[in-house]
Amino acid sequence: MGRTTVSASRVVGAATAVALALAVSACSSGAGDDAKSGGSFTYWSMWRSDEPQAKALKAAIDDFTAATGAKVTITWAGRDIAKKIGPAIAANQAPDLWDESDDKVYGTTASAGQALDLSPVLQLQVPEENVPVSQVIPAKYFDMLPKDPSGSNHYVIPYEVVTNAMFYHAADPAVASAMPSPPTDWAGLLKVCDALKAAGKACIASEGEDPWTNALYFDYLLNGAGVNVAQLSADKSGAAWDNPAVLTAAQQVEQLVKGGHLIPGYDATKFPAQETNWTAGKAAFYMDGNYVTAEVAKQVPAGWKTASILPPTAKAPDAGLIGFAIPKRAKNAAAAQKFIAFFLQKKHLSGISTTALNITPRTDIPAPAELADVQKTLEAPTVRLSFDGAGGSWLPKVLNENYLDFWHGKTTAAQFVAKCKADQVTYWQTQG
Amino acid sequence: MATTIDNPPRTDAVRGRSERTARTGVGPLERQRRRMFWPFTAPALIVYAVLFIAPVGYALWTSLYKWDGMGAMDWRGLQNYTLLFRDPRFRTSLFNTLELMVIGGTITFVLSFALTLVLREMRAKLFARSVLFFPSLVNGMVFGIAAGFLFSPTGPVNQALKLFGVTTPPKWLSTDNLLPMVLGTLVWTATGYYTPIIMAAVDQIPDYLYEAAELDGAGPFQRFRHITLPCAWDVIAVCAVLWTVSSVKIFELILLYGGSTDAYPPVSSWNTAVYVYTEAFPQGTVPRLGTATAAAIVSLAMVTLITVVLRRLLRRDPVEY
Repeated sequence: MGRTTVSASRVVGAATAVALALAVSACSSGAGDDAKSGGSFTYWSMWRSDEPQAKALKAAIDDFTAATGAKVTITWAGRDIAKKIGPAIAANQAPDLWDESDDKVYGTTASAGQALDLSPVLQLQVPEENVPVSQVIPAKYFDMLPKDPSGSNHYVIPYEVVTNAMFYHAADPAVASAMPSPPTDWAGLLKVCDALKAAGKACIASEGEDPWTNALYFDYLLNGAGVNVAQLSADKSGAAWDNPAVLTAAQQVEQLVKGGHLIPGYDATKFPAQETNWTAGKAAFYMDGNYVTAEVAKQVPAGWKTASILPPTAKAPDAGLIGFAIPKRAKNAAAAQKFIAFFLQKKHLSGISTTALNITPRTDIPAPAELADVQKTLEAPTVRLSFDGAGGSWLPKVLNENYLDFWHGKTTAAQFVAKCKADQVTYWQTQG
Repeated sequence: MATTIDNPPRTDAVRGRSERTARTGVGPLERQRRRMFWPFTAPALIVYAVLFIAPVGYALWTSLYKWDGMGAMDWRGLQNYTLLFRDPRFRTSLFNTLELMVIGGTITFVLSFALTLVLREMRAKLFARSVLFFPSLVNGMVFGIAAGFLFSPTGPVNQALKLFGVTTPPKWLSTDNLLPMVLGTLVWTATGYYTPIIMAAVDQIPDYLYEAAELDGAGPFQRFRHITLPCAWDVIAVCAVLWTVSSVKIFELILLYGGSTDAYPPVSSWNTAVYVYTEAFPQGTVPRLGTATAAAIVSLAMVTLITVVLRRLLRRDPVEY
């Protein structure tokens, strides 16, 4: 009766299946050895088979099988994989290799101690290149990750890197004249916005319904002010919100809202209405992940030239990793590790750039032309997770709605900060 | 049909039934029927027990633990429940569930009665009924997706309003209007669903009752109140229960109207179904199956209680005609 119990019984049904499977597999498990399986392994992918990343991976897997004779059983699971992996691990039915973004790998497996420490992969040689994996994947991508219960941050080996930035059309004359050079401080950005307003163009296109992309301005400003968002969110007393730097960052965001620099009607549309307006030239900047360039590739006018900046004062660019992970209970972990090193060869990994039009963690693989700026940004000595990795239900239960109210101009900066503080206190009281 | 068999005292004498059967009060057909009771009902009961009772029992058990679905289960006792009720987000979800149920239900049934009033006396009523029923055939998700286009500031709805001179239409898709939009869609589809059901009952009411009432000088509203309502009461009562149960299921509409590609709908628009979902399938963290199942159990208890009370309140002696 009722969807609640439908979802409940779905959960419970899955859980029952898991429990039964556990009972069965408890008798039959025992780490399978690679010798028996001949280097073969199973792989669940976050991509659907028709996606370009899948094509790049498939080509490498075919090559791997041809070179080693190992059979790879692939399931193109799509993004639902993050919901399936936990129950699969519990039922001892997990694949030997899977891939997802770093936050999903951490959230669903590593944080619960269910992800294998992949440090040994960093010592493996990249085939045909005679260098260890640790030399082609910059250490900064691991340094930014939260540690799992065993203290490791090597639970995901990235093959694609994503960052968030303010994207704009560099060849737009209105933008070029309003912003002769990228602003270096917040006042500079506001000046650019004023110039754009005078020229009849909105400064920022924003999908007003979406808390995540819009809160990235606040996130980057906090980063610029030296506030770690993960620490801010973890403070059970809420006192961290009293830090004057937090209020200042909120007031800077408020200047965008109150200054009329957000595209008119942004609080009454749904995605992708404003992304479309942005490509139509109705606003200059659009904050999003760098996948936006691929998203709008077909609708941008001729002569479009993508460029990007970070909100001024941000100290380190965001980086999101998409990479391989191995469940701790995987039966053919060694074979899967071998494949990770195999895929990181320049000739295979290049497919992520040339076929899938995305950025790889290897600096010697050039990004697609429209992401050249972004790749340069990612060359920064340190990178950070968006919101410093703060996540889970803190976002929906504390930040998101308060931020949307603030972003829509319904609350002031001071009210927003006070509301977040209060909600954070009750949030932590109910986390048990 | 069954009365002649279930009512032995009246027929026993005539049919010269033996002392023995008269004493037990069970005829051969009834005995046969009783013998067949378990073989026929057992499969259904087993399916019901395995697919419904067992999962609910398991949910009840899980709700007493802290569990991420993978690792060990930590005993929490009733702590999940106390935490739930201390969570203002859950209290809002409960309130929203009740709001959708009560306000949505009231509007839906008032509209259904009004339509019944009109439809009974209208020509081409079968066609009108089909038109009314149509929205409930369409998956709710279509509305959620279409809304982004229809209700955008320059969308068709506002263009149409402009023709009527409305120059400052509301911001349909703003977060404030989320629940009213969900409610509107819900009422629209549900009215089309319940009106034909109520109408089917109304069609069974003999015309002479209406004719007699008309001769007595009853107007349309009085005819509705004194004939339609009492005669169709059983069906209306069933519809009310169906509505109560289905209103708790509302889920995809909120998710589609309020969610974005990166985030759940704003927390103030969650109902218990969405709350359960976000606890069971959180983004970027392990599931909290203990609180998820506790929330599901609370809403199951709530809907059961409301249904029982509603059945009591709506119980009337059936009117025979």
